[in-house]
Amino acid sequence: MADLQIDHVTKTFGDTQVLKGISLDIGDGEFVSLVGPSGCGKSTLLRIIAGLESQSSGAIRILGQDVSGVRAADRNLSMVFQSYALYPHLTVAENISVPLKMRELSSVQRLPMIGPFMPGARDKNAEIAASVKHAAQTLEIDRLLDRKPGQLSGGQRQRVALGRALVREPAAFLLDEPLSNLDAKLRVQTRTEIAELHRRLGATFVYVTHDQVEAMTMSSRIAVMMGGEILQCDAPDEVYNNPLDIRVAEFIGSPKINILPVEASNGVLRFGDVVLPTAAPKVLKGPIRIGLRPEALRLVVEDAVLTGKVVHMENLGSEIFAQISLAGHEGRITMRAAPAQRSSLYIGANIGLAFEGSAALLFDPYGKRVFNSQVAPAQSEVA
Amino acid sequence: MTRDLWKHLILILGALIVIAPFYMMVSYSFKSPGEIDRGEGGFFGRQEMMVDERCVKLRDPDRDDVAVAALRFPNQTDSEIRDALVAEAVADCQMRPIVFNYTKAFTEAPLLRYLLNGVIVTASIFLIQIMVALPAAYALAKLKFWGREAVFSLVLFCLLIPVHAIALPLYIMLAKVGLTNTYAALVVPWTISVFGIFLMRQFFMTVPDDLIDAARMDGMGELAIVWRVMLPTAIPALLAFAIFSIVAHWNDYFWPRIVVTGNRDLFTPPLGLREFKGDGDGSFFGPMMATATVIVTPLIVAFLVAQRRFIEGITLSGMK
Amino acid sequence: MTIADTHTPEIVYSDTAQRRTAWWLVAPALGLMVLILMVPVVIAGILSFTDYSLGNDSFNWVGTKNYDRLFSRSTYEKMFIATFTYVVTVVPLSVGLGLGAALLINSMGRIGDIYKTIYFLPVMATLLAMAIAWEFMLHPSIGMINRTLEMSCGTVLEIIPFLENGCAERFPLWLGDRDYAIRVICFIGVWQGFGFNMVLYLAGLTGVHRELYHAAEMDGAKSVWERFRLVTWPALGPTTVFVVTISCIRAFQVFDTIEAFWPQGGGPNKSTYVMMFAIFEKGLQQNLIGIGSAITVLFLVFVMFLTLIQRWLVERKVHY
Repeated sequence: MADLQIDHVTKTFGDTQVLKGISLDIGDGEFVSLVGPSGCGKSTLLRIIAGLESQSSGAIRILGQDVSGVRAADRNLSMVFQSYALYPHLTVAENISVPLKMRELSSVQRLPMIGPFMPGARDKNAEIAASVKHAAQTLEIDRLLDRKPGQLSGGQRQRVALGRALVREPAAFLLDEPLSNLDAKLRVQTRTEIAELHRRLGATFVYVTHDQVEAMTMSSRIAVMMGGEILQCDAPDEVYNNPLDIRVAEFIGSPKINILPVEASNGVLRFGDVVLPTAAPKVLKGPIRIGLRPEALRLVVEDAVLTGKVVHMENLGSEIFAQISLAGHEGRITMRAAPAQRSSLYIGANIGLAFEGSAALLFDPYGKRVFNSQVAPAQSEVA
Repeated sequence: MTRDLWKHLILILGALIVIAPFYMMVSYSFKSPGEIDRGEGGFFGRQEMMVDERCVKLRDPDRDDVAVAALRFPNQTDSEIRDALVAEAVADCQMRPIVFNYTKAFTEAPLLRYLLNGVIVTASIFLIQIMVALPAAYALAKLKFWGREAVFSLVLFCLLIPVHAIALPLYIMLAKVGLTNTYAALVVPWTISVFGIFLMRQFFMTVPDDLIDAARMDGMGELAIVWRVMLPTAIPALLAFAIFSIVAHWNDYFWPRIVVTGNRDLFTPPLGLREFKGDGDGSFFGPMMATATVIVTPLIVAFLVAQRRFIEGITLSGMK
Repeated sequence: MTIADTHTPEIVYSDTAQRRTAWWLVAPALGLMVLILMVPVVIAGILSFTDYSLGNDSFNWVGTKNYDRLFSRSTYEKMFIATFTYVVTVVPLSVGLGLGAALLINSMGRIGDIYKTIYFLPVMATLLAMAIAWEFMLHPSIGMINRTLEMSCGTVLEIIPFLENGCAERFPLWLGDRDYAIRVICFIGVWQGFGFNMVLYLAGLTGVHRELYHAAEMDGAKSVWERFRLVTWPALGPTTVFVVTISCIRAFQVFDTIEAFWPQGGGPNKSTYVMMFAIFEKGLQQNLIGIGSAITVLFLVFVMFLTLIQRWLVERKVHY
């Protein structure tokens, strides 16, 4: 049974429909990223799962139970906020202990001065302190337990936020762009740590981000969201190699995938005058688009499928990305080359490119993926 | 939602208590003495014609009046003529309570003069405060000079001294130079507003140095910089300070009470009201409330019109 | 090539030039600070050890006799009691009500603006005028308050002991009653001041990060009280310190209501004989400058002490 179920959730703010019917099943222990450009509704969805906002229609089920009327505090979920939202007047230890104190101690035991002296409070507080210590050690912030958030760096604060989330061992962790306030280097390092944390805990993570690199590197599954819908939810490999929508293809992958307009007719694809090595279903007619990843393109001297001129180069040391202006095409395409080929690639060089027929991804005029081995769905028949 | 209902109930109860004296004050300023005594008439009073007793007394006929009036009342006895004259007086001295109250407010004591005093004093205080505080704040914020820290420490120290607290020695000083019962006495002790210096300095510190250097390059002297460059940037703070100062000094009762003892012409509005209370008898409650209403109204109206500014101002001065 | 300048704009701004100008700019403020704020403190200090009276040519040094009087005579004991009772009552109430009103209004949206305006009116209105309005409302027989209370006689509300006594015998004389007089003064003080605190708290509340409330919710803080304790109250720390200090200093300076209600004597059995009034009566009305100065000095000590505590608290506790 799925741990967390999102069932046809919609959300409307005034006249705008922010979520247009999201359905997603998240299994126990999965790391699912909700990724998409700003404004696609991913943070809203996360808040609806958390219970901080309510959906306009649809249901959220946790461990099979519908939690639609249940308030956030009772849903047994933890959230890491983009701004960390640490209590500025409490120390790190106190911050991390808040969720435990709220749940384990009675309201009498929580009273300001006299609470700790109430019967039973001492033992519970000791337990809580032990849990806090353990969480802090896991995140390597146990030296900082007596400091206040104002005295910590961004990365340290982020760990405290994580600590506060995991100390309770909730049913799932919700993370709302937790890395976006860190600088680039720290982001890379923390990415790894979060992924390892997930492996260690074996808990369910729902992770919101606009950075597709984060999603690709950390998730067991990626849900690509745009315009309030989930376009595709699959393992990173699948999403990368087998995008079901042209928008997914364009969003995932860096540098961006190359999109070329081609003419389909009777199973043959033409780019301008050139016939492409990719086969197409016979039912496909008229203008469609194909996508080619930069690494799918090969530099060739003869039998070139595409020809053009190098207009820009980015040498990253381990690889080179060359931007090529194709003859008869307005935009540029990007190809990935090995450092050894640097001699052939210089600004202004005329080069030829080729690619494996199967590497091209076909998209119908609506942006939907067309598969070679299948008959294209009826809607792609545009006369 | 019942939560909201409770909130409104509590707040409305509070609002009623808060507004009660305002309501009373304005309402009584509309009513006749009889209505005030008996506590009737709704908010506006019934506005029936009432008789101004004093006016009648003033016209109390004596022998000469009776003799003169005998021409108009032929064949009447003296006492009948007297009664007729009194009846005439009563008829002439009739007016609506609201008219009675408000005209008495302005005639029994020179209320207009007092209001004018209020304006003069309040405006003078504010203007001089600005003239003293702005240059000092600028120097403390932007100029480098030996002793700057010492002067600022002095400013901070003086923040601890409320002027009302040192009223007694100030009065003695003024008495010694013979300045009691003058406009100067009302204005001078307030001309130094340490709070104003502090507030303006905080604001001036946020002005970019480049702006000032550019002005210097253009040939402006430092004093010109204060008025032409710094002043415009600090308008919000100035407005806040203006509100703070004007409200405080228009409503100030303590200091004028101390310093203006003999000369009625110098009374500020609160003093005028106090005078009214002092020598009025019970039947003058209506006019007294009218005076009170007149004194309170300007600031209230200004507040209602420019609420946002006022509240922003108080907040701003508070936060700094 | 030299740039010939026949006039000398100070384009190159030397340090000495800056220093000189700065002193000129600061001089008026500095002079006034010394003259109006500091000299009087010194004078009060000196005179507190004498038996000076205004109009005399000379005076005698009396050592600490004035201070001894202050700490032994029962009149002054009442002065301390009255002052401290007032401060200890008015400050917590006006701060608490201000906070409460701010919290309620803050959770309401635009409608709250009406309440905000209403609650702020007493702050703007001349206290003397409103005090007189309150005085009339508190009149034992024709005042609105007792009249309203009398309406409860003969109804089920008589269960309440206060009303029961009042209906049986008589409702309190309020301003003439030794116990109630100070309470009435406190009430008016709270009535006048809590709106100001409310505005400051409303400003403080806007500075609370909204996401902290979400974090608190996720952490399990379900009730309004929990959220208040965990997020709101700590965030209002600096505001609270400021509000309490300002309220204390204003409370110490209470005068208008007392002088308006009891021009002589300081209330029934001196139960409202606050320090400012004592300074006024002793120093100005009775011309006993020596003892008046002693009270002034004590007053200043209290105020300075309070303000310094505020500064210390802000530095230490409210530091994130």
